[in-house]
Amino acid sequence: MERLVVIGAGMASGRLLEHLVEADPNAYAVTLFNAEPRGNYNRIMLSPVLSGEKSYAEIVTHDDAWYARHGVTCRFGERVESIDRDRNVVVGAKGEVPYDRLVLATGSDAFIVPCPGHDLDGVIAYRDLDDTNRMIDTAPGSRAVVIGGGLLGLEAAAGLRMRGLEVTVLHLAGHLMERQLDPAAGYLLRADLERRGITVMTQAATKCIRGDGAVEAVELEDGTILPADLVVMAVGIRPSVALAKQSGLAVNKAIEVDAQMRTSDPSIFAVGECIEFAGQLFGLVAPLYDQAKVLAATLLGQDAAFTPKQLSTKLKVTGCDLFSAGDFADGPGREDIVYRDPARGIYKRLVVEDDTLVGAVMYGDTADGNWFFGLIKDGTDIAEMRETLIFGPAYQGGATADPLAAVAALPADAEICGCNGVCKGQIVTAIEGGATDLGAVRATTKASASCGTCTGLVEQVLAATLGDAFQMPTAQPVCGCTDLSHEDVRRLIKARELKSQPAVWQELGWSTPNGCHVCRPAVNFYLLADWPLDYQDDPQSRFVNERKHANIQKDGTFSVVPRMWGGITTAAELRAIADAADKYDVPTVKVTGGQRIDLLGVKGEDLPAMWADLNAAGLVSGHAYSKGLRTVKTCVGTDHCRFGTQDSTGLGIRLEKRLWGSWTPHKVKLAVSGCPRNCAEATCKDVGIVCVDSGYEIGVGGAAGMDVKEVQPLVKVATEDAAVEWTVAFVQLYREHAKYLDRPYKWLAKVGLDWVQQTLGDAAERTALVERFDLSQTIYQTDPWAELAMREKARAFAPIADLTLEAAE
Amino acid sequence: MDTAMDLVTENPAKTFVEVTEIWIPEGDRLVLSGGVYGPHDRFAEASRAETFALGEGLPGKAWAEARPVVLKAFDGSYFKRTEAARQVGLTSAVAIPIFAGRTLKAVVVVLCADDATRTGAIEVWAEADGILTLADGYYGAATHFEWVSQHTSFPRGQGLPGGVWSALTPILMRDLGSGYRFVRSESAGQAGLTTGLGLPIPVPGGATFVLTLLSAKGTPIARRFEIWDARAAKTGTRDAAKLVDGICERDGPLWDPENAGRERVATAWEGPIGRVLATGVPVAETGAAAQGYAMMVAMPIHRGGELAHVVAWYC
Repeated sequence: MERLVVIGAGMASGRLLEHLVEADPNAYAVTLFNAEPRGNYNRIMLSPVLSGEKSYAEIVTHDDAWYARHGVTCRFGERVESIDRDRNVVVGAKGEVPYDRLVLATGSDAFIVPCPGHDLDGVIAYRDLDDTNRMIDTAPGSRAVVIGGGLLGLEAAAGLRMRGLEVTVLHLAGHLMERQLDPAAGYLLRADLERRGITVMTQAATKCIRGDGAVEAVELEDGTILPADLVVMAVGIRPSVALAKQSGLAVNKAIEVDAQMRTSDPSIFAVGECIEFAGQLFGLVAPLYDQAKVLAATLLGQDAAFTPKQLSTKLKVTGCDLFSAGDFADGPGREDIVYRDPARGIYKRLVVEDDTLVGAVMYGDTADGNWFFGLIKDGTDIAEMRETLIFGPAYQGGATADPLAAVAALPADAEICGCNGVCKGQIVTAIEGGATDLGAVRATTKASASCGTCTGLVEQVLAATLGDAFQMPTAQPVCGCTDLSHEDVRRLIKARELKSQPAVWQELGWSTPNGCHVCRPAVNFYLLADWPLDYQDDPQSRFVNERKHANIQKDGTFSVVPRMWGGITTAAELRAIADAADKYDVPTVKVTGGQRIDLLGVKGEDLPAMWADLNAAGLVSGHAYSKGLRTVKTCVGTDHCRFGTQDSTGLGIRLEKRLWGSWTPHKVKLAVSGCPRNCAEATCKDVGIVCVDSGYEIGVGGAAGMDVKEVQPLVKVATEDAAVEWTVAFVQLYREHAKYLDRPYKWLAKVGLDWVQQTLGDAAERTALVERFDLSQTIYQTDPWAELAMREKARAFAPIADLTLEAAE
Repeated sequence: MDTAMDLVTENPAKTFVEVTEIWIPEGDRLVLSGGVYGPHDRFAEASRAETFALGEGLPGKAWAEARPVVLKAFDGSYFKRTEAARQVGLTSAVAIPIFAGRTLKAVVVVLCADDATRTGAIEVWAEADGILTLADGYYGAATHFEWVSQHTSFPRGQGLPGGVWSALTPILMRDLGSGYRFVRSESAGQAGLTTGLGLPIPVPGGATFVLTLLSAKGTPIARRFEIWDARAAKTGTRDAAKLVDGICERDGPLWDPENAGRERVATAWEGPIGRVLATGVPVAETGAAAQGYAMMVAMPIHRGGELAHVVAWYC
């Protein structure tokens, strides 16, 4: 009988031994080393042991009796010190064991972030039973910080929470499990975990762990300090290869093996997380089992070869149902099929390329996961079933789904409006009782009167019940991604406190994974306007001018316009502008209608340096490219003009300094004229103020573009302070209510001047609007030039940048 | 997987629950649809002759108030079968209403006999102000644990009740008292409580209730627990359920250790689980259905008006 020594009693080597004893129990005399003082257990089930939903006894794969029955000599709790390949001997802490064949199954070690404090007591990894028990032994009520929002970290977080701890998860990427999930599914997962009382922080980089001997707090790069009694590092694993390296085997990122699991030494083999095959590492259990099967065959002299397969992911947190497989990155030639059911928290996305399914992500409804996984693995041609693919195998070969037919087929007790518990039968009764439009159904039954997401369904019930007598309303949807109008989206973002793009896509049932070039800029604006503190502006959801902070011209060059407050400048500023024009070969210098100077024909790659130069002279961006405040045009007012009634220049400067940097639904232009002669042309601006002897006449909703409009009188006030207050309040009301890309005059035509006057006429409401505006300005009133002039940002402006991946225009 | 066999080894003479009965609505009254009465024939007889209107007796109260109700003393209470219960030594009862959306499907009543040695716990946790606190519970001889529970509350996600609440699924916890630090473990350990089954009890109106059955070795509530997932979102069909978790004194763990989708499947109308799947109504059985144990109870849990899970316990 040949002597087989196995180092490491994990799941891969455990499966290897099972195959060996099953195929030929007399082939080898086996000695099994394990550094842990125990045999093989189902390591991937440690998470339910941590949560208390399984016992350790249940996850033991091989107990002492199993090893005895199969004649395996166990050397548990004994570390292997070296391998003497010349003598074919393994040197353990308690003595040598000779081998004919040797298997390395040393697995992996947790990667510990080498930040200051990583070696404090209370900082642990999550790899084995000892780590698990350490977590279990932490007293309920303690505070745990889990670093890493991948599979393992989230399972640890959920388990710790079940044990009664206060848990915070820190994740470096923008959404959880970013390698397995897209942002939409990551959003649902996050909501699920937060529902369990777990705090989730994304884009959170750990700076250090504080404590005197034992951990006391985790400090983040942004200065946040999180008190902690336990820190669990779950950021990744590293193949455990020290022994292999020391023995002189070929090791790259891990122990290199061939398809038969043989290392560079023909009598030494390796399986599991410690190997590298064709440049690939392995961390999930399925390929490990495949490797074990191949190695068993190799050791028994049979032919077998390992081929890596597609993998699927499941998270073992009770109640979190997610599935992901294949590749779901965006790419040219790839198409998405998306299904969302906001009421049930369901998101499904299939990625199709060349008539085959290449990726699938699902949350909340994972029933068809394995079927989709099969299609991915087999590369099945799905052209025939493309239309109904997302509905899973049950729908294949059936009729195509007609939403109206589906609604017609609903039983009377099917719930249509979840908020108010209204069933289809009640709506039908109301319709038959004379409620023949949406408003009447709403008034009679309360259906769709709360969150409004069932509005479409109620309309379909109306259509199904009334037939031709019901005209489906033609409210213009934002774009092809949704049936909701801009107004609906704005209302729902506020009402349902949606604070991220994934939240909007999911909760409002978007039919695309991440929106499109039409809806993304709008939703980005709505979110930043409504939730300035919670939402983070997404540059990829902005038009190219706003991304580049400069107006792109028809020849691909840019124009640069520094701000001139109220149209006032100085000799020094003019000199700096002239110097910049010389230094960067600016072909055209133009005075604009907004009383400032435009430098045209600047090359993209020169922008950061030019901004830096202008910044150094005290000039900031004029936002000449933005959906935001452009200019405040003024006349010279009382300082110089014989007719001036007030300090129009001073008021203009004051307004510009207050309003600059604020994003608005469309561009906003202001003017202040010092007398009714109106030299600043205030009566065709979005907000135009005309000074008179008795005070300030504020007009709104003017335009002088494709439409020409005179302002409508909003109010007349006596003091400059009141003029500023009303103007700011008006701009904020516009920011909060208007449809994206509606100028104020278009918005006013929809809501009516009366409503605006009534709203702003309420002093408390006016104050609140001003406060909300100022709060938003604490985040957004920054000079983009100063931020972007930094050298590393300059790369984004290099001419080779790939613009095809960007969102808008 | 014979290692879990030592969870319970002796074969105790007593169980914590003596009687389980199922009451279902018929017209405007609740009638007995099934029950397991063990040796208590006279109580069974008295029950067969009984029906309950809304608000009447213990089952009628659970129906009317749309919440689980614990009754620890029958004398002088609204309990209608006090005399029959007294004669056979039954002293306490818990009534659990089973709703599918707004529709009452059944009321499950379990009755216990009090003495100084029977330990276990049937608890009802209710949410108020974002926290679960004990609404009521029956603990037999585990008086210290009862006191601890009365002074414990669970935020979302914490402990068995908080876990069930946030995950919206039944959860089966092991070894509540020994190596695994159940939030109330010290006291649970002293009381000999080992395994805990927590179930969400959906009721109309949105109130949150979680029922926990905590089982002790000597006088177990059950020797076998099963949790079946019946959601179409997991099984792909309305007519089947998968055995996603479970543990049995004789068969050990009942879950799929490879986590590879090879769980046992029950289909509608086949066996007691299949009957619950098909009807949405709980069952209490003896004989073959109880797989060698004296009795089994299978209870449906609905979510959003649809059958979502079936939990079963055998003793």
